[in-house]
Amino acid sequence: MQEKRSTIFRPYHAWLFLIPALLGLSVFRLGPMVAAFILSFTSWDILVKSKWIGLNNFKELFGDPIFRGVIINTFEFSLIYVIGVMIFGLLLAVIVNSKVKGVTFFRAAYFTPVVTSAVAVGIVWNWLLSPHYGLVNVVLENVFKLSPPAWLGERSTALIVVAAVQLWKMSGYYMILFLAGLQDIPRVYYEAAQIDGASKWHSFWKITLPLLSPTTFFVFTIAIIDSFKNFEIIYTMTKGGPSSATTTLVYSVYVNAFIFYRMGYASAVAYILLIVIGMITIINFILKKYWVKYQY
Amino acid sequence: MKIFKKILIYTLLGTIVIIMIFPFVWMVINSFNSEGSILKIPPKIIPDKLFKKDMFENYITVLRDYNFLRYTLNSFIVTSLASLGQIFTCSMAGFAFARMRFRGKNVVFALLLSTMMIPVQVTIIPEFILMMKLGWLDTFAPLIIPSFLVGSFGTFMYKEFFENIPRDLEDAATIDGAGPLSMFLRIFFPLSTVQTITLFIIAFMNNWNDLLRPILYLHSTKLMTVTMALTQFQSEYRVRWSWLLTGAVLSILPLLIVYITLQRFVIEGITHTGLKG
Repeated sequence: MQEKRSTIFRPYHAWLFLIPALLGLSVFRLGPMVAAFILSFTSWDILVKSKWIGLNNFKELFGDPIFRGVIINTFEFSLIYVIGVMIFGLLLAVIVNSKVKGVTFFRAAYFTPVVTSAVAVGIVWNWLLSPHYGLVNVVLENVFKLSPPAWLGERSTALIVVAAVQLWKMSGYYMILFLAGLQDIPRVYYEAAQIDGASKWHSFWKITLPLLSPTTFFVFTIAIIDSFKNFEIIYTMTKGGPSSATTTLVYSVYVNAFIFYRMGYASAVAYILLIVIGMITIINFILKKYWVKYQY
Repeated sequence: MKIFKKILIYTLLGTIVIIMIFPFVWMVINSFNSEGSILKIPPKIIPDKLFKKDMFENYITVLRDYNFLRYTLNSFIVTSLASLGQIFTCSMAGFAFARMRFRGKNVVFALLLSTMMIPVQVTIIPEFILMMKLGWLDTFAPLIIPSFLVGSFGTFMYKEFFENIPRDLEDAATIDGAGPLSMFLRIFFPLSTVQTITLFIIAFMNNWNDLLRPILYLHSTKLMTVTMALTQFQSEYRVRWSWLLTGAVLSILPLLIVYITLQRFVIEGITHTGLKG
Protein backbone atom coordinates (compact mmCIF):
# COMPACT_ATOMS: atom_id res chain seq x y z
CA MET A 1 0.00 0.00 0.00
CA GLN A 2 1.22 3.42 -0.88
CA GLU A 3 1.01 5.72 2.09
CA LYS A 4 -0.92 8.87 1.58
CA ARG A 5 0.60 11.89 3.17
CA SER A 6 -0.45 15.42 2.50
CA THR A 7 1.67 17.16 -0.07
CA ILE A 8 2.16 20.81 -0.84
CA PHE A 9 1.74 20.11 -4.55
CA ARG A 10 -1.58 21.02 -6.08
CA PRO A 11 -2.55 19.63 -9.51
CA TYR A 12 -2.07 23.04 -11.12
CA HIS A 13 1.56 23.02 -10.00
CA ALA A 14 2.08 19.96 -12.17
CA TRP A 15 0.61 21.68 -15.22
CA LEU A 16 2.84 24.70 -14.61
CA PHE A 17 5.93 22.50 -14.55
CA LEU A 18 4.72 20.77 -17.69
CA ILE A 19 4.19 23.93 -19.76
CA PRO A 20 7.38 23.65 -21.87
CA ALA A 21 6.97 19.90 -22.45
CA LEU A 22 3.29 20.22 -23.36
CA LEU A 23 4.05 23.11 -25.69
CA GLY A 24 6.65 20.96 -27.43
CA LEU A 25 4.39 17.93 -27.55
CA SER A 26 1.46 19.81 -29.07
CA VAL A 27 3.29 22.20 -31.40
CA PHE A 28 6.02 19.89 -32.69
CA ARG A 29 4.58 16.39 -32.40
CA LEU A 30 0.79 16.01 -32.12
CA GLY A 31 -0.17 19.14 -34.05
CA PRO A 32 2.03 18.34 -37.04
CA MET A 33 0.74 14.75 -37.06
CA VAL A 34 -2.81 15.98 -37.44
CA ALA A 35 -1.74 18.60 -39.99
CA ALA A 36 0.19 16.03 -42.03
CA PHE A 37 -2.88 13.80 -42.07
CA ILE A 38 -5.03 16.61 -43.50
CA LEU A 39 -2.29 17.66 -45.94
CA SER A 40 -2.13 14.15 -47.33
CA PHE A 41 -5.55 14.72 -48.93
CA THR A 42 -4.44 17.89 -50.69
CA SER A 43 -2.31 18.98 -53.57
CA TRP A 44 -0.01 21.83 -52.62
CA ASP A 45 3.29 23.24 -53.86
CA ILE A 46 3.66 25.95 -51.13
CA LEU A 47 3.31 28.84 -53.60
CA VAL A 48 -0.35 28.61 -54.66
CA LYS A 49 -3.30 27.73 -52.48
CA SER A 50 -3.70 24.08 -51.54
CA LYS A 51 -6.43 22.05 -53.22
CA TRP A 52 -8.47 19.20 -51.68
CA ILE A 53 -8.06 16.11 -53.86
CA GLY A 54 -9.37 13.37 -51.57
CA LEU A 55 -7.60 10.05 -51.88
CA ASN A 56 -5.80 10.91 -55.12
CA ASN A 57 -2.35 11.08 -53.51
CA PHE A 58 -2.75 7.58 -52.14
CA LYS A 59 -4.13 6.29 -55.46
CA GLU A 60 -1.16 7.77 -57.27
CA LEU A 61 1.25 6.25 -54.76
CA PHE A 62 -0.07 2.74 -55.08
CA GLY A 63 -0.13 2.91 -58.86
CA ASP A 64 3.45 4.12 -59.05
CA PRO A 65 6.09 1.41 -59.69
CA ILE A 66 8.83 3.70 -58.29
CA PHE A 67 6.93 3.95 -55.02
CA ARG A 68 6.58 0.17 -54.90
CA GLY A 69 10.37 0.09 -55.22
CA VAL A 70 10.64 2.57 -52.33
CA ILE A 71 8.55 0.29 -50.11
CA ILE A 72 10.68 -2.71 -51.05
CA ASN A 73 13.88 -0.72 -50.40
CA THR A 74 12.57 0.34 -47.00
CA PHE A 75 11.84 -3.22 -45.95
CA GLU A 76 15.10 -4.52 -47.37
CA PHE A 77 17.06 -1.88 -45.47
CA SER A 78 15.15 -2.62 -42.26
CA LEU A 79 15.61 -6.37 -42.64
CA ILE A 80 19.38 -6.12 -43.08
CA TYR A 81 19.67 -3.56 -40.30
CA VAL A 82 17.48 -5.28 -37.71
CA ILE A 83 18.91 -8.78 -38.21
CA GLY A 84 22.42 -7.34 -38.33
CA VAL A 85 22.26 -5.22 -35.18
CA MET A 86 20.55 -8.01 -33.23
CA ILE A 87 23.25 -10.54 -34.10
CA PHE A 88 26.27 -8.24 -33.89
CA GLY A 89 24.92 -6.38 -30.87
CA LEU A 90 24.51 -9.61 -28.92
CA LEU A 91 27.84 -10.96 -30.13
CA LEU A 92 29.68 -7.81 -29.09
CA ALA A 93 27.85 -7.74 -25.75
CA VAL A 94 28.84 -11.33 -24.98
CA ILE A 95 32.45 -10.57 -25.86
CA VAL A 96 32.71 -7.35 -23.81
CA ASN A 97 30.90 -9.03 -20.91
CA SER A 98 33.93 -11.24 -20.30
CA LYS A 99 35.88 -10.31 -17.21
CA VAL A 100 39.27 -9.44 -18.61
CA LYS A 101 41.47 -6.43 -17.94
CA GLY A 102 40.84 -3.37 -20.09
CA VAL A 103 37.43 -4.48 -21.28
CA THR A 104 35.90 -1.05 -20.57
CA PHE A 105 38.32 0.43 -23.07
CA PHE A 106 37.02 -1.94 -25.74
CA ARG A 107 33.40 -1.12 -24.86
CA ALA A 108 34.10 2.58 -25.28
CA ALA A 109 35.98 1.97 -28.53
CA TYR A 110 33.15 -0.07 -30.07
CA PHE A 111 30.75 2.70 -29.20
CA THR A 112 32.74 5.41 -31.04
CA PRO A 113 30.97 5.09 -34.42
CA VAL A 114 27.63 5.61 -32.64
CA VAL A 115 28.80 8.99 -31.38
CA THR A 116 30.08 10.30 -34.70
CA SER A 117 27.71 11.83 -37.22
CA ALA A 118 26.21 9.76 -40.01
CA VAL A 119 27.54 12.44 -42.37
CA ALA A 120 31.17 11.90 -41.35
CA VAL A 121 30.68 8.14 -41.36
CA GLY A 122 29.09 8.31 -44.81
CA ILE A 123 31.96 10.36 -46.21
CA VAL A 124 34.62 8.03 -44.84
CA TRP A 125 32.91 4.95 -46.24
CA ASN A 126 32.24 6.66 -49.58
CA TRP A 127 35.95 7.18 -49.82
CA LEU A 128 36.89 3.67 -48.66
CA LEU A 129 34.40 2.16 -51.12
CA SER A 130 35.08 4.34 -54.15
CA PRO A 131 35.62 2.22 -57.26
CA HIS A 132 39.18 3.04 -58.33
CA TYR A 133 41.21 4.41 -55.45
CA GLY A 134 39.10 3.30 -52.45
CA LEU A 135 40.98 1.11 -50.01
CA VAL A 136 38.42 -1.73 -50.13
CA ASN A 137 38.66 -2.22 -53.87
CA VAL A 138 42.41 -1.61 -53.97
CA VAL A 139 42.89 -4.46 -51.50
CA LEU A 140 40.38 -6.73 -53.23
CA GLU A 141 41.97 -6.12 -56.65
CA ASN A 142 45.62 -6.20 -55.75
CA VAL A 143 45.81 -8.62 -52.85
CA PHE A 144 42.97 -11.01 -53.61
CA LYS A 145 42.99 -10.54 -57.41
CA LEU A 146 39.22 -10.09 -57.55
CA SER A 147 37.17 -7.74 -59.69
CA PRO A 148 34.90 -6.10 -57.10
CA PRO A 149 31.77 -4.11 -58.03
CA ALA A 150 31.48 -0.32 -57.81
CA TRP A 151 29.50 -0.84 -54.55
CA LEU A 152 27.56 2.43 -54.33
CA GLY A 153 27.41 2.93 -58.08
CA GLU A 154 25.46 -0.22 -58.85
CA ARG A 155 21.77 -0.86 -58.33
CA SER A 156 22.33 -4.39 -57.07
CA THR A 157 24.79 -3.52 -54.30
CA ALA A 158 24.11 0.10 -53.27
CA LEU A 159 21.28 -0.53 -50.80
CA ILE A 160 23.03 -3.46 -49.13
CA VAL A 161 26.19 -1.39 -48.72
CA VAL A 162 24.37 1.61 -47.22
CA ALA A 163 22.48 -0.66 -44.79
CA ALA A 164 25.74 -2.38 -43.86
CA VAL A 165 27.43 0.95 -43.13
CA GLN A 166 24.55 2.00 -40.88
CA LEU A 167 24.75 -1.42 -39.22
CA TRP A 168 28.48 -0.93 -38.65
CA LYS A 169 27.84 2.53 -37.20
CA MET A 170 25.10 1.46 -34.78
CA SER A 171 26.07 -2.02 -33.53
CA GLY A 172 27.93 -0.54 -30.53
CA TYR A 173 24.68 0.97 -29.34
CA TYR A 174 22.92 -2.40 -29.40
CA MET A 175 25.93 -3.91 -27.66
CA ILE A 176 25.33 -1.59 -24.69
CA LEU A 177 21.62 -2.48 -24.59
CA PHE A 178 22.34 -6.22 -24.64
CA LEU A 179 25.14 -5.80 -22.13
CA ALA A 180 22.72 -4.29 -19.61
CA GLY A 181 20.47 -7.36 -20.05
CA LEU A 182 23.34 -9.81 -19.72
CA GLN A 183 24.50 -8.23 -16.48
CA ASP A 184 21.00 -8.58 -15.03
CA ILE A 185 21.09 -12.38 -15.25
CA PRO A 186 22.01 -13.69 -11.78
CA ARG A 187 25.28 -15.58 -11.64
CA VAL A 188 23.73 -18.41 -9.58
CA TYR A 189 22.08 -19.90 -12.67
CA TYR A 190 25.44 -20.32 -14.36
CA GLU A 191 27.00 -21.73 -11.24
CA ALA A 192 24.20 -24.29 -10.89
CA ALA A 193 24.56 -25.27 -14.54
CA GLN A 194 28.29 -25.62 -14.10
CA ILE A 195 27.80 -27.99 -11.16
CA ASP A 196 25.43 -30.04 -13.30
CA GLY A 197 28.22 -30.30 -15.85
CA ALA A 198 26.72 -28.11 -18.57
CA SER A 199 29.11 -26.69 -21.17
CA LYS A 200 29.47 -22.93 -21.80
CA TRP A 201 27.76 -23.38 -25.15
CA HIS A 202 24.89 -25.27 -23.57
CA SER A 203 24.32 -22.71 -20.82
CA PHE A 204 24.33 -19.92 -23.42
CA TRP A 205 21.39 -21.55 -25.23
CA LYS A 206 19.55 -22.80 -22.16
CA ILE A 207 20.13 -19.95 -19.70
CA THR A 208 21.38 -16.79 -21.37
CA LEU A 209 19.03 -16.67 -24.36
CA PRO A 210 15.76 -17.49 -22.52
CA LEU A 211 16.53 -15.17 -19.61
CA LEU A 212 17.63 -12.46 -22.00
CA SER A 213 14.38 -12.60 -23.96
CA PRO A 214 12.76 -9.52 -22.31
CA THR A 215 15.85 -7.50 -23.25
CA THR A 216 15.85 -9.04 -26.69
CA PHE A 217 12.25 -7.98 -27.15
CA PHE A 218 13.03 -4.43 -26.05
CA VAL A 219 16.10 -4.24 -28.28
CA PHE A 220 14.14 -5.68 -31.21
CA THR A 221 11.45 -3.02 -30.80
CA ILE A 222 14.05 -0.24 -30.69
CA ALA A 223 15.92 -1.72 -33.68
CA ILE A 224 12.77 -1.79 -35.83
CA ILE A 225 11.94 1.84 -35.07
CA ASP A 226 15.56 2.84 -35.57
CA SER A 227 15.78 1.00 -38.89
CA PHE A 228 13.46 3.52 -40.53
CA LYS A 229 15.63 6.46 -39.50
CA ASN A 230 18.14 6.28 -42.31
CA PHE A 231 17.86 9.72 -43.91
CA GLU A 232 21.33 11.04 -43.02
CA ILE A 233 23.31 8.06 -44.22
CA ILE A 234 21.42 7.90 -47.53
CA TYR A 235 21.71 11.65 -48.08
CA THR A 236 25.46 11.49 -47.58
CA MET A 237 26.27 8.25 -49.37
CA THR A 238 23.95 7.95 -52.36
CA LYS A 239 21.28 10.70 -52.38
CA GLY A 240 18.78 7.90 -53.00
CA GLY A 241 20.49 6.70 -56.19
CA PRO A 242 21.56 5.13 -58.44
CA SER A 243 18.14 5.67 -60.06
CA SER A 244 16.23 5.48 -56.74
CA ALA A 245 17.77 2.13 -55.80
CA THR A 246 18.44 3.42 -52.27
CA THR A 247 15.39 5.67 -51.84
CA THR A 248 13.53 4.67 -48.69
CA LEU A 249 10.31 6.10 -47.22
CA VAL A 250 12.02 8.77 -45.10
CA TYR A 251 14.17 9.82 -48.03
CA SER A 252 11.15 9.86 -50.31
CA VAL A 253 9.36 12.26 -47.93
CA TYR A 254 12.32 14.63 -48.14
CA VAL A 255 12.64 14.45 -51.92
CA ASN A 256 8.94 14.90 -52.64
CA ALA A 257 8.45 17.69 -50.12
CA PHE A 258 11.62 19.71 -50.41
CA ILE A 259 12.99 18.97 -53.88
CA PHE A 260 9.74 18.59 -55.86
CA TYR A 261 7.65 20.76 -53.49
CA ARG A 262 4.76 18.29 -53.51
CA MET A 263 3.71 18.83 -49.90
CA GLY A 264 0.45 16.86 -50.07
CA TYR A 265 1.97 13.91 -51.86
CA ALA A 266 4.93 13.84 -49.45
CA SER A 267 2.54 13.95 -46.49
CA ALA A 268 0.80 10.88 -47.90
CA VAL A 269 4.19 9.13 -48.05
CA ALA A 270 4.84 10.22 -44.45
CA TYR A 271 1.54 8.72 -43.37
CA ILE A 272 2.28 5.44 -45.07
CA LEU A 273 5.56 5.44 -43.14
CA LEU A 274 3.64 6.05 -39.92
CA ILE A 275 1.17 3.24 -40.68
CA VAL A 276 3.99 0.81 -41.52
CA ILE A 277 5.78 1.57 -38.24
CA GLY A 278 2.53 1.35 -36.27
CA MET A 279 1.59 -2.00 -37.82
CA ILE A 280 5.00 -3.57 -37.26
CA THR A 281 5.04 -2.38 -33.65
CA ILE A 282 1.58 -3.88 -33.02
CA ILE A 283 2.51 -7.22 -34.63
CA ASN A 284 5.67 -7.24 -32.56
CA PHE A 285 3.70 -6.80 -29.34
CA ILE A 286 1.19 -9.51 -30.32
CA LEU A 287 3.96 -12.01 -31.05
CA LYS A 288 5.71 -11.12 -27.80
CA LYS A 289 3.90 -13.68 -25.64
CA TYR A 290 5.15 -16.58 -27.78
CA TRP A 291 8.83 -16.06 -27.23
CA VAL A 292 9.46 -13.70 -24.33
CA LYS A 293 9.96 -15.41 -20.97
CA TYR A 294 10.13 -13.47 -17.74
CA GLN A 295 12.43 -14.47 -14.94
CA TYR A 296 9.97 -13.78 -12.14
CA MET B 1 43.97 -23.63 -21.00
CA LYS B 2 43.38 -20.40 -19.09
CA ILE B 3 46.10 -18.54 -20.94
CA PHE B 4 44.86 -19.88 -24.27
CA LYS B 5 41.40 -18.55 -23.54
CA LYS B 6 42.77 -15.14 -22.64
CA ILE B 7 44.72 -14.93 -25.88
CA LEU B 8 41.59 -15.86 -27.80
CA ILE B 9 39.50 -13.16 -26.11
CA TYR B 10 42.11 -10.44 -26.65
CA THR B 11 42.54 -11.45 -30.30
CA LEU B 12 38.81 -11.16 -30.77
CA LEU B 13 38.60 -7.83 -28.91
CA GLY B 14 41.53 -6.50 -30.91
CA THR B 15 40.15 -7.56 -34.29
CA ILE B 16 36.84 -5.85 -33.59
CA VAL B 17 38.60 -2.66 -32.44
CA ILE B 18 40.36 -2.55 -35.79
CA ILE B 19 37.06 -2.96 -37.64
CA MET B 20 35.36 -0.24 -35.58
CA ILE B 21 38.16 2.30 -35.35
CA PHE B 22 40.20 1.79 -38.50
CA PRO B 23 38.06 3.98 -40.81
CA PHE B 24 38.54 6.92 -38.44
CA VAL B 25 42.25 6.32 -38.01
CA TRP B 26 42.67 6.05 -41.76
CA MET B 27 40.75 9.29 -42.16
CA VAL B 28 42.95 11.13 -39.66
CA ILE B 29 46.13 9.76 -41.27
CA ASN B 30 45.01 10.91 -44.69
CA SER B 31 44.10 14.37 -43.48
CA PHE B 32 47.90 14.86 -43.38
CA ASN B 33 48.29 13.74 -46.98
CA SER B 34 48.43 15.85 -50.10
CA GLU B 35 45.77 15.08 -52.69
CA GLY B 36 48.32 13.35 -54.91
CA SER B 37 49.39 10.85 -52.33
CA ILE B 38 45.85 10.08 -51.14
CA LEU B 39 45.16 8.63 -54.56
CA LYS B 40 48.36 6.59 -54.71
CA ILE B 41 48.16 2.83 -55.15
CA PRO B 42 49.35 1.10 -53.02
CA PRO B 43 48.20 3.55 -50.31
CA LYS B 44 50.87 5.24 -48.21
CA ILE B 45 50.74 4.38 -44.54
CA ILE B 46 52.87 7.36 -43.54
CA PRO B 47 51.30 10.54 -44.93
CA ASP B 48 53.62 12.80 -46.90
CA LYS B 49 52.99 15.97 -44.87
CA LEU B 50 53.49 14.43 -41.45
CA PHE B 51 56.06 16.43 -39.44
CA LYS B 52 56.84 18.64 -42.43
CA LYS B 53 56.43 22.40 -42.18
CA ASP B 54 53.18 22.30 -44.18
CA MET B 55 51.81 19.52 -41.96
CA PHE B 56 48.58 21.37 -41.13
CA GLU B 57 48.04 22.81 -44.60
CA ASN B 58 44.79 20.86 -45.14
CA TYR B 59 43.48 21.99 -41.78
CA ILE B 60 44.35 25.63 -42.44
CA THR B 61 42.70 25.51 -45.85
CA VAL B 62 39.50 23.97 -44.51
CA LEU B 63 39.26 26.11 -41.37
CA ARG B 64 40.13 29.44 -42.98
CA ASP B 65 39.42 29.30 -46.70
CA TYR B 66 36.37 27.08 -46.37
CA ASN B 67 35.09 28.74 -43.18
CA PHE B 68 34.90 25.62 -41.04
CA LEU B 69 35.86 27.67 -38.01
CA ARG B 70 32.67 29.66 -38.47
CA TYR B 71 30.55 26.53 -39.01
CA THR B 72 31.95 24.90 -35.89
CA LEU B 73 31.09 28.00 -33.90
CA ASN B 74 27.54 27.94 -35.35
CA SER B 75 27.18 24.30 -34.35
CA PHE B 76 28.33 25.16 -30.85
CA ILE B 77 25.76 27.93 -30.48
CA VAL B 78 22.84 25.91 -31.83
CA THR B 79 23.75 22.69 -30.07
CA SER B 80 24.44 24.24 -26.66
CA LEU B 81 21.22 26.22 -26.58
CA ALA B 82 19.13 23.25 -27.73
CA SER B 83 20.73 20.95 -25.18
CA LEU B 84 20.37 23.40 -22.29
CA GLY B 85 16.74 23.78 -23.33
CA GLN B 86 16.21 20.04 -23.13
CA ILE B 87 17.58 20.05 -19.60
CA PHE B 88 15.16 22.85 -18.68
CA THR B 89 12.11 21.19 -20.26
CA CYS B 90 12.85 17.59 -19.27
CA SER B 91 13.88 18.21 -15.68
CA MET B 92 10.71 20.16 -14.94
CA ALA B 93 8.48 17.61 -16.68
CA GLY B 94 10.26 14.70 -15.03
CA PHE B 95 9.78 16.37 -11.65
CA ALA B 96 6.06 16.81 -12.23
CA PHE B 97 5.60 13.20 -13.38
CA ALA B 98 7.62 11.82 -10.47
CA ARG B 99 6.41 13.84 -7.50
CA MET B 100 2.96 15.19 -8.26
CA ARG B 101 -0.46 13.67 -8.62
CA PHE B 102 -2.78 15.06 -11.27
CA ARG B 103 -5.46 13.90 -13.62
CA GLY B 104 -4.35 12.69 -17.05
CA LYS B 105 -0.79 12.04 -15.89
CA ASN B 106 -0.56 8.59 -17.47
CA VAL B 107 -2.06 9.73 -20.74
CA VAL B 108 0.34 12.67 -21.09
CA PHE B 109 3.31 10.50 -20.19
CA ALA B 110 2.30 7.77 -22.64
CA LEU B 111 1.87 10.36 -25.41
CA LEU B 112 5.27 11.81 -24.66
CA LEU B 113 6.97 8.43 -24.87
CA SER B 114 5.09 7.06 -27.87
CA THR B 115 5.65 10.10 -30.07
CA MET B 116 9.35 9.50 -29.61
CA MET B 117 9.12 6.51 -31.94
CA ILE B 118 7.88 8.55 -34.84
CA PRO B 119 10.54 9.56 -37.36
CA VAL B 120 10.92 13.32 -37.72
CA GLN B 121 9.99 13.02 -41.41
CA VAL B 122 6.37 12.42 -40.42
CA THR B 123 6.07 15.82 -38.73
CA ILE B 124 8.63 17.84 -40.64
CA ILE B 125 6.34 19.18 -43.39
CA PRO B 126 3.87 20.95 -41.07
CA GLU B 127 6.81 22.03 -38.92
CA PHE B 128 8.45 23.59 -41.97
CA ILE B 129 5.25 25.41 -42.86
CA LEU B 130 4.96 26.70 -39.29
CA MET B 131 8.54 27.99 -39.33
CA MET B 132 7.89 29.63 -42.68
CA LYS B 133 4.74 31.37 -41.37
CA LEU B 134 6.65 32.56 -38.31
CA GLY B 135 9.31 34.01 -40.58
CA TRP B 136 11.99 31.92 -38.94
CA LEU B 137 13.52 30.46 -42.10
CA ASP B 138 17.23 31.06 -42.32
CA THR B 139 17.64 31.67 -38.60
CA PHE B 140 18.86 29.39 -35.82
CA ALA B 141 15.42 29.33 -34.15
CA PRO B 142 14.00 26.29 -36.02
CA LEU B 143 17.11 24.31 -35.15
CA ILE B 144 16.93 25.20 -31.47
CA ILE B 145 13.27 25.44 -30.48
CA PRO B 146 11.89 21.99 -31.45
CA SER B 147 14.79 20.31 -29.72
CA PHE B 148 14.50 22.71 -26.76
CA LEU B 149 10.91 21.68 -26.09
CA VAL B 150 10.77 18.00 -27.05
CA GLY B 151 12.69 15.46 -25.02
CA SER B 152 11.12 12.12 -24.21
CA PHE B 153 14.35 10.42 -23.25
CA GLY B 154 15.36 13.13 -20.80
CA THR B 155 11.92 13.33 -19.22
CA PHE B 156 11.96 9.59 -18.69
CA MET B 157 15.41 9.69 -17.14
CA TYR B 158 14.61 12.53 -14.73
CA LYS B 159 11.31 10.91 -13.78
CA GLU B 160 13.04 7.66 -12.85
CA PHE B 161 15.59 9.54 -10.77
CA PHE B 162 13.20 11.88 -8.94
CA GLU B 163 10.85 9.01 -8.12
CA ASN B 164 13.55 7.34 -6.06
CA ILE B 165 14.25 10.31 -3.82
CA PRO B 166 12.82 9.66 -0.33
CA ARG B 167 9.64 11.45 0.58
CA ASP B 168 11.21 12.68 3.83
CA LEU B 169 13.35 15.12 1.91
CA GLU B 170 10.24 16.67 0.40
CA ASP B 171 8.54 16.89 3.82
CA ALA B 172 11.60 18.45 5.44
CA ALA B 173 11.70 21.11 2.75
CA THR B 174 8.01 21.79 3.23
CA ILE B 175 8.52 22.33 6.94
CA ASP B 176 11.30 24.79 6.12
CA GLY B 177 8.73 26.70 4.11
CA ALA B 178 9.86 25.84 0.59
CA GLY B 179 7.32 26.28 -2.20
CA PRO B 180 7.15 23.95 -5.22
CA LEU B 181 9.54 26.00 -7.32
CA SER B 182 12.20 26.49 -4.67
CA MET B 183 11.92 22.83 -3.74
CA PHE B 184 12.69 21.92 -7.34
CA LEU B 185 15.43 24.48 -7.84
CA ARG B 186 17.19 24.16 -4.48
CA ILE B 187 16.76 20.49 -3.62
CA PHE B 188 15.73 18.18 -6.45
CA PHE B 189 17.51 19.66 -9.46
CA PRO B 190 20.93 19.98 -7.73
CA LEU B 191 20.71 16.29 -6.76
CA SER B 192 20.39 15.23 -10.37
CA THR B 193 23.86 16.26 -11.61
CA VAL B 194 24.57 12.87 -13.17
CA GLN B 195 21.27 12.88 -15.08
CA THR B 196 21.86 16.45 -16.19
CA ILE B 197 25.34 15.74 -17.52
CA THR B 198 24.14 12.56 -19.26
CA LEU B 199 21.24 14.33 -20.93
CA PHE B 200 23.43 17.25 -21.95
CA ILE B 201 25.93 14.97 -23.68
CA ILE B 202 23.33 12.88 -25.45
CA ALA B 203 21.32 15.91 -26.55
CA PHE B 204 24.55 17.59 -27.63
CA MET B 205 25.45 14.65 -29.85
CA ASN B 206 22.00 14.37 -31.39
CA ASN B 207 21.85 18.07 -32.18
CA TRP B 208 25.41 18.28 -33.43
CA ASN B 209 24.76 15.42 -35.84
CA ASP B 210 21.34 16.62 -37.01
CA LEU B 211 21.19 17.09 -40.74
CA LEU B 212 17.58 17.36 -41.90
CA ARG B 213 16.67 20.58 -40.09
CA PRO B 214 19.81 22.50 -41.09
CA ILE B 215 19.42 21.62 -44.77
CA LEU B 216 15.76 22.60 -44.73
CA TYR B 217 15.98 25.79 -42.72
CA LEU B 218 19.34 27.36 -43.49
CA HIS B 219 20.19 29.05 -46.77
CA SER B 220 22.89 31.58 -45.89
CA THR B 221 26.36 30.13 -46.01
CA LYS B 222 27.38 32.02 -42.89
CA LEU B 223 24.73 30.26 -40.77
CA MET B 224 25.51 26.65 -41.73
CA THR B 225 26.27 24.10 -39.03
CA VAL B 226 29.37 22.01 -39.43
CA THR B 227 27.46 18.80 -40.21
CA MET B 228 25.49 20.53 -42.95
CA ALA B 229 28.60 22.31 -44.23
CA LEU B 230 30.26 18.96 -44.70
CA THR B 231 27.49 17.74 -47.02
CA GLN B 232 27.63 20.99 -49.01
CA PHE B 233 31.38 20.68 -49.16
CA GLN B 234 30.98 17.14 -50.48
CA SER B 235 28.92 18.26 -53.46
CA GLU B 236 31.30 21.06 -54.47
CA TYR B 237 33.15 20.08 -57.61
CA ARG B 238 36.44 21.76 -56.65
CA VAL B 239 36.71 19.81 -53.46
CA ARG B 240 39.45 17.28 -52.97
CA TRP B 241 39.37 14.16 -50.82
CA SER B 242 42.16 15.52 -48.63
CA TRP B 243 40.03 18.54 -47.71
CA LEU B 244 36.82 16.59 -47.36
CA LEU B 245 38.43 14.10 -44.97
CA THR B 246 39.99 16.96 -43.02
CA GLY B 247 36.54 18.56 -42.78
CA ALA B 248 35.10 15.27 -41.54
CA VAL B 249 37.82 15.03 -38.88
CA LEU B 250 37.12 18.60 -37.78
CA SER B 251 33.36 18.00 -37.63
CA ILE B 252 33.65 15.02 -35.30
CA LEU B 253 36.58 16.26 -33.20
CA PRO B 254 34.52 18.29 -30.67
CA LEU B 255 32.16 15.34 -30.22
CA LEU B 256 34.97 12.88 -29.76
CA ILE B 257 36.59 15.08 -27.13
CA VAL B 258 33.32 15.33 -25.22
CA TYR B 259 32.73 11.59 -25.60
CA ILE B 260 36.20 10.51 -24.53
CA THR B 261 36.20 12.69 -21.40
CA LEU B 262 32.65 11.85 -20.35
CA GLN B 263 32.08 8.42 -21.89
CA ARG B 264 31.05 6.73 -18.68
CA PHE B 265 28.01 9.03 -18.46
CA VAL B 266 26.98 8.21 -22.03
CA ILE B 267 27.29 4.47 -21.67
CA GLU B 268 25.71 4.34 -18.21
CA GLY B 269 22.87 6.63 -19.24
CA ILE B 270 21.98 4.37 -22.15
CA THR B 271 22.42 1.22 -20.06
CA HIS B 272 19.97 2.43 -17.45
CA THR B 273 17.26 3.83 -19.65
CA GLY B 274 17.86 1.99 -22.88
CA LEU B 275 17.27 5.11 -24.92
CA LYS B 276 19.33 7.65 -26.69
CA GLY B 277 17.10 10.54 -27.60
